[in-house]
Amino acid sequence: MTDFRARVFGYKRASQANANAFAVLEKIPIFQDLSRRELASIERILHRREYVPDEVIIRQDEPGLGMYIIEAGKAAVLSEPDKVRLSDLTDGDFFGEVSLLAESPRSATVAATTHCRVLGFFQSDLFSLIERDPRLGVKIVVRVAKIIGDRLRKANQQLLSVSDELRRTRQGTHPA
Amino acid sequence: MNNSSLRPRAEVAPLLIAVVLAVFLLFVGGAAHIVILSLLLSYILDPVATVLEARGMSRTLATVIIMLGLGSLIVVGSVVLIPAIFEHLQTLQSGSTTAQAAAAINDLERFARDKFSFLGFGDINLGERIGELRQQVGERAIAFLFSDAASLIINAVTIPFMMFFFIKDGREMKKRVVSMVPNRYFEFTLDLLSKMDMQLGNYLRGQFLDAVIFGAMAVVALWILGVNYFVFLGVFAGLANLIPYVGAIAGVVPAALVAVLGSGNLSAAVPVIIAYVVLKMLDDFVVQPFAVASSVHMHPVLVLIAIMVGGELFGILGMLLAVPVAGFFKVVLQEGVSTYRKYRFT
Repeated sequence: MTDFRARVFGYKRASQANANAFAVLEKIPIFQDLSRRELASIERILHRREYVPDEVIIRQDEPGLGMYIIEAGKAAVLSEPDKVRLSDLTDGDFFGEVSLLAESPRSATVAATTHCRVLGFFQSDLFSLIERDPRLGVKIVVRVAKIIGDRLRKANQQLLSVSDELRRTRQGTHPA
Repeated sequence: MNNSSLRPRAEVAPLLIAVVLAVFLLFVGGAAHIVILSLLLSYILDPVATVLEARGMSRTLATVIIMLGLGSLIVVGSVVLIPAIFEHLQTLQSGSTTAQAAAAINDLERFARDKFSFLGFGDINLGERIGELRQQVGERAIAFLFSDAASLIINAVTIPFMMFFFIKDGREMKKRVVSMVPNRYFEFTLDLLSKMDMQLGNYLRGQFLDAVIFGAMAVVALWILGVNYFVFLGVFAGLANLIPYVGAIAGVVPAALVAVLGSGNLSAAVPVIIAYVVLKMLDDFVVQPFAVASSVHMHPVLVLIAIMVGGELFGILGMLLAVPVAGFFKVVLQEGVSTYRKYRFT
């Protein structure tokens, strides 16, 4: 009977896969503190993909359509063309969130290093979510903007410290 | 790291889609127009469901409300229009000719004999020809309504049934289709679908809105001019307006003929033609810039071929759907090529 009602009225019983996705989503800063209903709305628009070891998830310079969250497995961030390993990603890590707000080319390649299960959250789905649930959509956009802002602030601090170091090195090399 | 050898090659995909579509149209041709019509209508009404969702309704409730609204429109339309259609068809079949119509036919005959005798119109008997023609049209239309009543009823049930599920589960269906695409082509497919969705959505909804507005304006104009059957002629003009180039002419000719036959005066066609020209100008300069957000520019030859193929496959309905469907394929091809170029498929 429940199955029949679920088929007709379109709601789903929380499966093991959904429960796993909820557990992963709750740890992502973008989705933290969302209600169960809001998380279910997000979970419905996520795309679940599986990758074998060495398979590329996103390619540098290809259009960025959205972000990926690693549900289970490991992946590596690589810089093309020499495939220099920049960092490693594991369960609960996410990448590509800038593409949620602006379609820009991917800045690096990400490839699975083990069997990898990922959740894809894309700009077109976010925009469609904003149209039908503006309150939740705006929450997500504000959080993504906050994360990007934090990263920009950190990048600025790093840039400042590098330029300070460069100035000190120059002063040491060419004393006035 | 390169799994391209395990994946279907991108070059094969368009061919595969074309083959599947061809088989679908050839072997399931009878059902194809129902599916296409249901898909088009669902696509046009989808934003209404989204607006209702934004007001806090579930997708299911929003779909139910849309279908109830549509059902009410169909019921009211049927109650009002079907008796009128039968009455008009019976009048047409009975062949009763008013004095005005006979006078108009005589005028036309004289005009043709005087001016176009060099084309073989010297011994034309227009009255007899028109009598035969309307007898045939009336008989065929009534035979069609009776013999195809079963299929009309089936369509009236299946189209809303399909629409309900296309509107309610459309997003989920799209997600399922995308989930079947191999990893290498997944983002490309998603990118292509979202661009097509944007372009086609604007185009189809714009065309639909334009047809409704043009049809309503034509109904009002013909009513003011006192032309018989103004509702059918106006609705027909709105639908014909979906067809570029030939649509405007196809809309005005029957209305002008009815006006001439109704009044018995050839000059009665003039206000009808002027009204259509004014309406067409209003449509081109006022309605279309607002209603049609994006147009899919197609070469006139392509439009003509599409209309002929549509007519051959699905009759008058095929002719009306030909341009939106051809527009769909054009957008698929255009966006497919431009999106494909951004990905480094090897």
